[in-house]
Amino acid sequence: MQRRSAARLSPLLLLLLLLLPLAWGAGPWPPRADRELQVSSRLAGQAARVALHYLNYRLGSPSALRALGQVRKATVKPIPGIGHKYYLQFTTEDYKSSQNVGTCLATVLYLKRKPRPAVNINCTYTKDQKQTREDDYSFYKKLRQQTKPITGNDTPDSYGHIEPALEPAWALAVAGSSYLMWEKSTENLGYFMAQVKNVKQWITKDDSIDFDYLVILHEIPTQEMISCHLRVIWTPGHPLKVKYFCLSENQRSESGEGSGTESGSTNGIFNEEEANF
Amino acid sequence: MGEGSTNFHWMYQIKESNSELVTQHYLGMTYENRPMYYLKISQPSNKAKKIIWMDCGLHAREWISPAFCQWFMKEILQNYKTDPKIKSFLQNLDVYILPVLNIDGYIYSWTTERLWRKSRSALINSTCFGTDLNRNFNGSWGSIGVSHNCSSLTFCGTGPESEPETKAVARFIEKRKSDVLCFLTVHSYGHNHQDLVRQQNHAPCQRKGLRLHELYFLSFSNVQLEAAEKAAVALKEKHGTNFTVGPTSLVLYKNSGSWWDWAHMIGIPFFYTFELRDKGAYGFILPPDQIQPTCEETTSAVMTITEYVNQKYFPNSAVAVTSGSLWL
Repeated sequence: MQRRSAARLSPLLLLLLLLLPLAWGAGPWPPRADRELQVSSRLAGQAARVALHYLNYRLGSPSALRALGQVRKATVKPIPGIGHKYYLQFTTEDYKSSQNVGTCLATVLYLKRKPRPAVNINCTYTKDQKQTREDDYSFYKKLRQQTKPITGNDTPDSYGHIEPALEPAWALAVAGSSYLMWEKSTENLGYFMAQVKNVKQWITKDDSIDFDYLVILHEIPTQEMISCHLRVIWTPGHPLKVKYFCLSENQRSESGEGSGTESGSTNGIFNEEEANF
Repeated sequence: MGEGSTNFHWMYQIKESNSELVTQHYLGMTYENRPMYYLKISQPSNKAKKIIWMDCGLHAREWISPAFCQWFMKEILQNYKTDPKIKSFLQNLDVYILPVLNIDGYIYSWTTERLWRKSRSALINSTCFGTDLNRNFNGSWGSIGVSHNCSSLTFCGTGPESEPETKAVARFIEKRKSDVLCFLTVHSYGHNHQDLVRQQNHAPCQRKGLRLHELYFLSFSNVQLEAAEKAAVALKEKHGTNFTVGPTSLVLYKNSGSWWDWAHMIGIPFFYTFELRDKGAYGFILPPDQIQPTCEETTSAVMTITEYVNQKYFPNSAVAVTSGSLWL
């Protein structure tokens, strides 16, 4: 039956059919038969944020943290038996100043079996990268020079203030929490870091910066606040090392560990130039 | 107690220093026995007016919301004698403002737990506290997007309108529903919204509410869309903030028992939920330097909606204003 049908197909159609597998596997932008999402749909925004959590974690740069600007294009492709793959284009903002800092193209694959979404993300970045490296380095120097460990509570405080001395620690908490939020995110559950409840620095004998945190995550759409212990070890130019342990209301606990070796990809790793640190 | 009494003090002052325009009215008592008052802004006249209702502070931790209600009141009171648009709508509309709907929760977020959301009603021998007031209204109560577990942050209460705060505002609006043209409820933050996916099975034409925030869009009634889009334009003109217009129609199914869905159910023609800044970087704990710009841009939006409603229902007075300015 199939052979008879194939024989009747026009040469053009046959050519298209032959090319289809190529488009499916290797195509950079969404293959056909995907569902286009409203750019303002919650799922699109959620997927974009997951991609940014991954990026913020992998870059491990407190001066270059990014937040979601606006989704420009979003499509989702169901992969039977595997999960849903999102194809996204979105703008980004500097986390602190909300200034636009570039655009990203990303894919986010929510897998049915593994808990962690698979992310590929490539971004343009309009901030001066030399400047952000220098900013990271001044954070790093300040923290290395501490003889007394930095400690703090409620950052920001109830009124939105972040103590200047705690800024670097807060920024590293965002970067570290990004790993945790990436791990926990599902197609339907998203996260924001609401507050650093507690921060404590460990003075190390090596080159690293070491912080212990208690962070509060805001989970949507459940509205729940999740408390997590976070341990972040930072050396500029190296992948962030993160360990976490979360407790939720019903005593479910989750823990994880990240060291920059997780699969996924981004173009935004500045590796080689950090050697002069 | 600090913030609670500061709020009451402010309300008292506002009322005293603008007594020709502002009166304070009792709505009911909260769970912890605090009186709920709304402020009525009404230009004295023989004419029967229609009502614009705005409430803030339904969720305790969304502090920018009560701040906005206070700011908006201040704006009207500072400008009503000179601003022709305000003068125009006050001829036909009374503005009712409830600065903090969830007083107990709000005070608790100041004194004890900054990120508290719900009310402070006590259950199970005071081992479990708080109902999500925005799941407690009598509109498809308890069906979707709620928890029946009292420790959950979306706990819908023991029954529709089980909470005194919910009951007080619902009874009040119900009594005046034929006069309420526009209903506004103010929340934060911009990414604090409901699940879109489950809505797709339901006919959007059943819903008419609009939600102004930085997110989604679907089909809804033309006039509400038009008003909201104008508001979004006005808002953006202030500080460049992008607000997207979207239907609360979706929200019902994830969010049954919400305030705005109930308002729609009883037939209020224009109703909007505002989700103010930010988009999640700081979330509920908005940096202080963003408070004023947020209030300014949102004031533009609310004024635009109020003017739109005024022009729609009282076209003669709108024409009068326009004609007046042509001759200047």
